[in-house]
Amino acid sequence: MSVVSNSPEKSKWYLTGILGGLGITFKHLITNLFNQKKMITLNYPEEKYEYSARFKGNHVLTVKKDGSIRCTACMLCATNCPAECINILAAEHNDPTVEKYPIAYEIDILRCVFCGFCEEACPVDAIRMGPEWQTPGANGSKFIYDINHLAYRPQLKGGVVSVVDEAERHKSGI
Amino acid sequence: MSEVKYLTEFYHLNEFQGLEGYKKNGGYVQLERAFKMKPEEITEEVKKSGLRGRGGAGFATGVKWGFLPKNGEPRYLLCNADEGEPGTFKDRMMMERAPHQLIEGMIISAYAIGAKKSYIYIRGEYDYPIACVVKAIKEAYAAGLLGKNILGSGFDHEMDVYAGAGAYICGEETGMISSLEGLKGQPKLKPPFPAIQGYLKKPTIVNNVETLAAVKYIIRDGAQGFRKYGTEKSAGSKLFSLSGNIVKPGNYEVPLGYSLKDMIFNLGGGMKPGRKLKAVIPGGSSAPVLNAEEVDRATLDYECLASMGTMLGSGAIIVIDDSQCMVDMLGVLTHFYHHESCGQCTPCREGTGWLNKIVHSILEGRGRLQDIDLLLKVADNMKGRTICALSDAAALPVLSFVSKFRDEFEFFVREGRSKVKGTNYAQMHH
Amino acid sequence: MPKCTINGHEVEVKEGATIMEAFYKLNEGIAHYCYHPGLSVAGVCRLCIVDIEGNPRPQIACNTVVTEGMKVTNQAEKIKDGVKWVLDFHLINHPLDCPVCDQAGECGLQDQYMQFGKYSSEMAEPKVKKHKVVDLGPTVVLDSERCILCSRCVRFTDEVSKTNELGLFNRGDRTEVGTFDGKPLDNNYSLNTVDICPVGALTSKDFRFRQRVWYLKDSETLCTGCSTGCNVKVYYNKEGAFRVKPVYNEKVNGHWMCDEGRGIYKFVNREHRLLKGRMKQKGQSTWTDMDAGALAKEAYQVIKSAGEKLAIILTGQYSTHEYQILLKNLPTKNVFHWQNQAEKWNEFDGLLLRGDRNPNTKGVELAMNASGIKTDWNDLISGIKSGAIQTVFVAGPENMAVYEDMKEKIQSLGSVQNIIWTTACKSEDFEKLTNNVWLVPMKSYLEKEGSFINNQGLEQKFKKATTIVSEALTLAEASYLVSGQNIPIIKMEAVDTFIDASRRPDQVTLEHRKKNEFVYKRGSL
Repeated sequence: MSVVSNSPEKSKWYLTGILGGLGITFKHLITNLFNQKKMITLNYPEEKYEYSARFKGNHVLTVKKDGSIRCTACMLCATNCPAECINILAAEHNDPTVEKYPIAYEIDILRCVFCGFCEEACPVDAIRMGPEWQTPGANGSKFIYDINHLAYRPQLKGGVVSVVDEAERHKSGI
Repeated sequence: MSEVKYLTEFYHLNEFQGLEGYKKNGGYVQLERAFKMKPEEITEEVKKSGLRGRGGAGFATGVKWGFLPKNGEPRYLLCNADEGEPGTFKDRMMMERAPHQLIEGMIISAYAIGAKKSYIYIRGEYDYPIACVVKAIKEAYAAGLLGKNILGSGFDHEMDVYAGAGAYICGEETGMISSLEGLKGQPKLKPPFPAIQGYLKKPTIVNNVETLAAVKYIIRDGAQGFRKYGTEKSAGSKLFSLSGNIVKPGNYEVPLGYSLKDMIFNLGGGMKPGRKLKAVIPGGSSAPVLNAEEVDRATLDYECLASMGTMLGSGAIIVIDDSQCMVDMLGVLTHFYHHESCGQCTPCREGTGWLNKIVHSILEGRGRLQDIDLLLKVADNMKGRTICALSDAAALPVLSFVSKFRDEFEFFVREGRSKVKGTNYAQMHH
Repeated sequence: MPKCTINGHEVEVKEGATIMEAFYKLNEGIAHYCYHPGLSVAGVCRLCIVDIEGNPRPQIACNTVVTEGMKVTNQAEKIKDGVKWVLDFHLINHPLDCPVCDQAGECGLQDQYMQFGKYSSEMAEPKVKKHKVVDLGPTVVLDSERCILCSRCVRFTDEVSKTNELGLFNRGDRTEVGTFDGKPLDNNYSLNTVDICPVGALTSKDFRFRQRVWYLKDSETLCTGCSTGCNVKVYYNKEGAFRVKPVYNEKVNGHWMCDEGRGIYKFVNREHRLLKGRMKQKGQSTWTDMDAGALAKEAYQVIKSAGEKLAIILTGQYSTHEYQILLKNLPTKNVFHWQNQAEKWNEFDGLLLRGDRNPNTKGVELAMNASGIKTDWNDLISGIKSGAIQTVFVAGPENMAVYEDMKEKIQSLGSVQNIIWTTACKSEDFEKLTNNVWLVPMKSYLEKEGSFINNQGLEQKFKKATTIVSEALTLAEASYLVSGQNIPIIKMEAVDTFIDASRRPDQVTLEHRKKNEFVYKRGSL
C-alpha cells in the first residue's frame, strides 16, 4: 500500500474550494428561478423527456398491412439474444403462403439488456426497438411482455407496419 | 461431285414402299446373302466399312457391336427412329419411302449381333411413318421374313414398333431404353453402357434408322464397295436435311466430305433473292453455328466439322440468312432445351432454365451487359457435367451464337431492339 | 483390393468400390447430395466431380469404380470451380428461406455452401415457383421449392420400403416430387425420407416447427420400440426430448428405422411421467405423494413381512443388469414374465419392426434362466387365488402404449394384498388398483445406462443422455431400497457461482459447437 500524504500547507485552502462550489450552485439557483426554460432538470413524471426515434427502448412487433403479426417465428432473435429473454412458440399457419407464425412471443424485459441484437438479427423487420423507455409495473409478471402487448399495445395505435411486404417479395420472385 | 443415289436409289418409286415393289428392286436379296455369312463376318465387314452412326454422335457401328458380351445372353436390337433433333427429317423419309429397306437392314444387323427381338422406337408425332413401318412389318411377317426360322436359315427374329410420346430426350439411347421399359424417359447413368446392360438389363444395341439401312448396302457391295463414297475416316454417303432460308429445302444424299457451300448453293438453290448467307447450323440445333466465312471452308464430314468446333450431328443443315435476328433465334433454341431437359442432372435442369431466362430477359429489354458474359459462363459450366449430352447440346449453341454474333447481343441489350430487324421482341412476334 | 491415391493419400478399397467410398474411407471431404450409402447410385446432383489423372473430363465419384493405381483429386482448381458452379445451379431456384426452414442448421445446402461454395450468385432472374406445404401423407410435408431433386426419397420408397409412393413428376426445372394421383405417402418407414432429404423439402409433421435444431443436443441410444434394438439418436434439450433419428449400424438396422420407433421419445417427457412416489391404502381413493426413496424404504417393510408370499413380475423394458440386481436383492422363485401379446412376438415386417415390442425380452429370459426360474403366468393366477402370493413387486412397463393388456393384468391382480409397482409414466389404469399400492417413479431409458439384448441375441449398451425426472430411481436402485439396503447417494457438488467463465464446465460439447458455429461465436459478435 502506498501512502500519500497531503501537504498540510495545501489543505488549509479547502475553504476556497467549498465557496467556489457553493457559488456555482447559487448561480444555477438564480438562473433557474428567473429563467425556467433553460433549466436542465425535468419534473418527472409530470414532464417527460422525448428521445429520438432511434432510441433503443421497448420492443415493438411490427404487423403486415392486414394487421396480422409480421414475425415468421424463425427464432433468430431468440438465438441471437445474449440475455436469452425471448421465448417463441411457433405454429403452422392456415395460409399456405405463410410458412409459420408465432402463437406465443414473450420478452422478459427485466432480463433484456437492450442491446438491439434482436432487431439486427430479424430478417423481415418484425421486431424493432421503439422510443418508449418507461416501463413501470407493480409486480414481476408485468415485465413479461406477451405478443399482444408487443404488437398491439395502445401506444402503437393498431400496430407498426413492417417495411418487408411478403406479397411484394413474392411478386418480385424472391 | 454432286448428289448421289445410293441409299435413296429407288425412293422416287411409289411401289418401293410395299413388299412387292421392294422385292422387285432387289429387296431381301442381301438378307439371303447375309444368312450365308457367319454373324462375326458381318460384324467384321461393318467394322471394315467404316460405317459411323448416322444419328448424331458418329460412333463407329462395328466397334459398337463389338462391345457386346460374347456369351449366349439374350440381347436386343433397338432402332432409334425418335428423330427429335430440330431440323432433321431424313429418317422420316426413309421410313415413309422404304420401310422394308430398314427392316432388311435390321434383320441383317440382328443376325450379326444375335438378337432375337428388336424394336423400332418411332417418335409419337410421326403418324404416317409409324403406319408405314407397321404395315411393312406385317407384310414381312406374312412373307416369312420375320418370325421363326426366317427363310429357312434357322434364325428367329421378332420385330415391333414402339411409338414414343414425343420427348426429345428419348432420342438419347439410354433415355429411349428407359422409355421402352415403361419408365419416365430419362437417360441412365453410364457405365454400364447399353451394350453391356441396356433394355431390361440385357445387352442392347441402339442404332439410327439410316445406320441400320446402310448395313444392307455393306452386305451388297462389301466394305470396299461401301467406301466408294466418302472420305477415309467418314465413309459412305449420308442423307442431309436442308432447311431454313433457302430456295430448295429438302433431303439430299451426298457422299461424306461434300462441300457445305456446294450443298447450299448448288443443291439447295442458294439464298432467296437479295439475301446474303449469314450463318449455318450444320448438324441439328445442338451443333454450334458456323458463320459465313467458315461455311466456305467447311466440308460435310465428321473430321472437318469437328476441327471447326462444331459437328456433323444428324445431318440437319439449317441455313440462316441476313434477315434473321440471332438473339431471337437463340431464344427459340434455349426455350426448346429448357422445355426438353429431363430434369435429372442439376446443371442441365437448372442451367437450361437459367439460359432461357437470361436470353428472354435480353429479348424483352431487361437485359444487362453483364448478362452476355453470364450466358457464356453458365453455358461453359453446363458442358460435360451431366449424364447425357443434352446439357452440352443446350450449351454449345449458346456459346457459339454469343461468341460469333456478340455485336447483335450487345446491340439488343443497349437498344432494346434487334440490330437486324430493328424492332423489339413484342413487335417481332406481334 | 485395388489401391488408389486420393488427394495425395493412398487408400486400399474393396474390389468394385467407387471413388466415393474411398473418399468416405479416408474421411476426405467431398461435396454430394444424391449419393447415399444405403441407396442405389443416381448420379444426378453432379457435385461429386473429381479429377482422375489421365482423364480429360471430370468424373463423378459416386459412379466411378476405383482401379489399381488411380490418382484422384478434388482439390484441383478446375474441380473446385466446377463444384462451386454446380452448387450455384442447385441454389438458383432454391427459395433460400433458411430463417423459416426447419432444416436450417443441419441442411446439406448450408453446410456444403460454407465448405465448397462461398460465391455470390449472379442469378438475377425470377425463381421458378412450385408447390409449397404439400401434405404428402400422415407423417410428411413437402415443400417443392426447396427440393433439389436428388431423388433420394424416391429411391428410398423404391428400394428400401418397396412401397413406391413417391415419384418425380414433370420435366426440366418444373420437376417436382409427388405422389401419384395425390395418394398418401403412408408406410411405416416414411419418415426415413425426411432423414435422408439433404434440404428442408421433406419435413416431419411431428417435429415441424417445434424446435430450431440448434437448440437441441443429441445422444446416441437404442430404440426401445421393439426387440430389433435399432441404434438411434435422441434429440433433446431442457424442455425434453423432441425427435429420434436412426444411427448406422450394419448388424442391426443399417441406415433406417421405422416410424413407430420414432414415437419412443414421447413417453419420456415430463408431462407423461410419474414425478413423485405415490401410495394409497386399500379402500382409500386419494393418493399420498412421497419422495421416491422414502417410498421405496417404506415398501421394504411390506416386502419383509411378506416373506415367502412375495412374487415378482418382470416386463422386458428394463436393462439387463437391472433384472440381475433385482433378482439378487429379492431372492424368490416366484418370478413371472409379463408377456404382452406373446402370440404376435414372431411377427416381422421384413425390414426392421418385430412383433415383440419390448427391447429386452431376451434380457428377462436370461436373468430368469440364470436364477433357474421357470414359471408360467397361470402359476401366478393360481397362487393369488390360493393366497400363496400376497405381495407383488411389478417392474412395470415404461412404454405403456404397447401394453394393451394393462387393464386386464391389473384386474387379475385384484385380490393381492400389496402391490409395489415401479413405473416411469403415469397412467389412468393405476386408479383401478384397489389394493395397498406403492407407485415408485422410475427413470426412463434416456436417463440411465445399461444394455438391451435384442432379438438376435446381440447385447447393445446404451448411455445416459439427460435427466428429466431427477427424483426417479432405476430399477436397481429401487431393488436395493425395497430390500432394506442403502444405496450410495451421489452428492451434488455445490455450484460455485463465482468461478470464471473459462473454468466453468462446458454446457455444450465441442462437437455441438462445431455443428453450430453461430451459437459458438455468439459471444464474440
